[in-house]
Amino acid sequence: MEIRSGDELTFRQVYGEVFPVLMRVAYHVTYNQDVAEDICQDAFIRFFDKDMVFPSMNDAKFWLIRVVKNLSINHVKRKMRETASLEKVMRGPQVNPFKDGSTELLLKESTAAVRKAVSELPEIYKTVIVLREYADLDYKEIAKVLKISESNVKVRVHRARKELEAKLDREEVNVP
Amino acid sequence: MCLDDQILNTYLDGELAEPWKSQVEEHLSYCSSCRTRYQNLIALSNSVKASALTAEEIEPHQDRVLSMIEKNYLSKKGKRSFLHRQFKVSAPQMIGVAAAFVVVFVGSWSLFGHNGNKDNAIPLPEVNTSIDLNNITQTRSSDNATTSKSLETYSLDDILKNLDARGYDVDIRLKSIQPLSLSSSAAEVKVIAKVIEKNITITSDGLAKDAEGTIVATGVKLDDKGQIVASDGTVIFKASEVKVMETASEGAVAATITSAN
Repeated sequence: MEIRSGDELTFRQVYGEVFPVLMRVAYHVTYNQDVAEDICQDAFIRFFDKDMVFPSMNDAKFWLIRVVKNLSINHVKRKMRETASLEKVMRGPQVNPFKDGSTELLLKESTAAVRKAVSELPEIYKTVIVLREYADLDYKEIAKVLKISESNVKVRVHRARKELEAKLDREEVNVP
Repeated sequence: MCLDDQILNTYLDGELAEPWKSQVEEHLSYCSSCRTRYQNLIALSNSVKASALTAEEIEPHQDRVLSMIEKNYLSKKGKRSFLHRQFKVSAPQMIGVAAAFVVVFVGSWSLFGHNGNKDNAIPLPEVNTSIDLNNITQTRSSDNATTSKSLETYSLDDILKNLDARGYDVDIRLKSIQPLSLSSSAAEVKVIAKVIEKNITITSDGLAKDAEGTIVATGVKLDDKGQIVASDGTVIFKASEVKVMETASEGAVAATITSAN
C-alpha cells in the first residue's frame, strides 16, 4: 500500500499505528515524556508537511523512527553539554531522574533501574537496544533505520546487552 | 565448545539462520551451563522490554499531539494559499498565456487609449435616492462578531476622539442630506412660493432653497395670509416679499425648524 504522508486519511492511519512506537523510541532515548512528546509532534508535522510518498507503511514508519531517533539523540547531546557546563559551575549533586517522587511510585523498582541503565548506555548501543526492545524492530529493520550493516547490528545488540547486564548487576549490589 | 553470548543473543532475537539455528538448539538441549546463560539473557531482554513506556503512559501524549496537529495542520490542508500551490505549466502553454496577455493589452490600448484625452472628466452616475421604509435595511455587523466591538458600538464622538488621538485631521461634512418629510414622493413636491428679492424658493415639502438649490430652512410653509412662516408660527418673510405660486397641500410640513437663519 502506497503511503502519501500529506493525505489526511493516510496520515491518521500512520499516526494511529506508529505513534506508540515513536513515543517509546523518543522516551527511551531522552527519558523525558514531555520532550518525547515534542519530538514526536515535530516528526509528525514534518511527515505531514513534506507530503512524501512511501512504497509501504513500514517505509513510512522507518522514516519517522529515523527522524525521532535523530531528534532524540540531538536532544540528549545538547542536554549533556548543558549539564556538563552547568555542573562545572554548580558542582552540585546529580539528580537522578528515575528516582523522583512520581516515577518511583508509578514504576516498579526494577523498571526504574532498567530505564536508568538504558539511559546510561553509550549512544550507539542505546539506539540499537531501544529499536530492538522498545520499537520491536528486527536486525534488518534496525540496519535500515540506522544505515549500518546487519552484522554491525548484531554486534551492537550483543555489546549493549553485556553493558546493561553489568550495570544492572552493579545496581543490585548498590540497592540496600 | 560452548556458545558465546553473541550467538545466543542472535538466537534469542530469532535472527540466527540455519544451519546454525539447529546446531544451537541441539547444543542447548544438553549443555546446562549454556542453557542457564541463555535463560539469563532472556530474563535480561524481558526485563528491558518490561520497562517500556506503557500504553497508558503513551495515550495522553498521543491524543494531545493529534489534536494539536488536527487544529493546526489537518484542517488547513484544503486552504493552502494560492501562492504556495505549485503550478505545472508547459512551455507552449506559457507562450500561449503570454500571447493572450499581449493581445489583451494591445487591444485595450487601441480601444480605450485614444479616448483618454477627449474626456478628462470622469462621468460619475448621479444617484438620487430618496429614503423611505422600502429602501432602508437595518443591518447589524455584530451578528457574527462575538468578541470584538463593532464600529457601531462607538458613538461618533468616540470615533472622532479616537481618530484625533491617532493624529488624523478630521473634517466632517454632511452632503445631500434631506430631512425626512411626510410627503410620500419627490414627484409631488411643487414650488409653492418664491421670495423674489432673495431668490429663495419654497417648496411643498417645507424646504426653502436659495438660487443654488441649497437648503436654507426647513419646516416652513406658506400661510393663508401669503407669508412664509416657520413651524412655530414665526413669520420669516412677509407677504409683500413673497410671490405665491401654488397653495401648499395640507400637512406638508412635519419637521421642527424654528428659524430660517
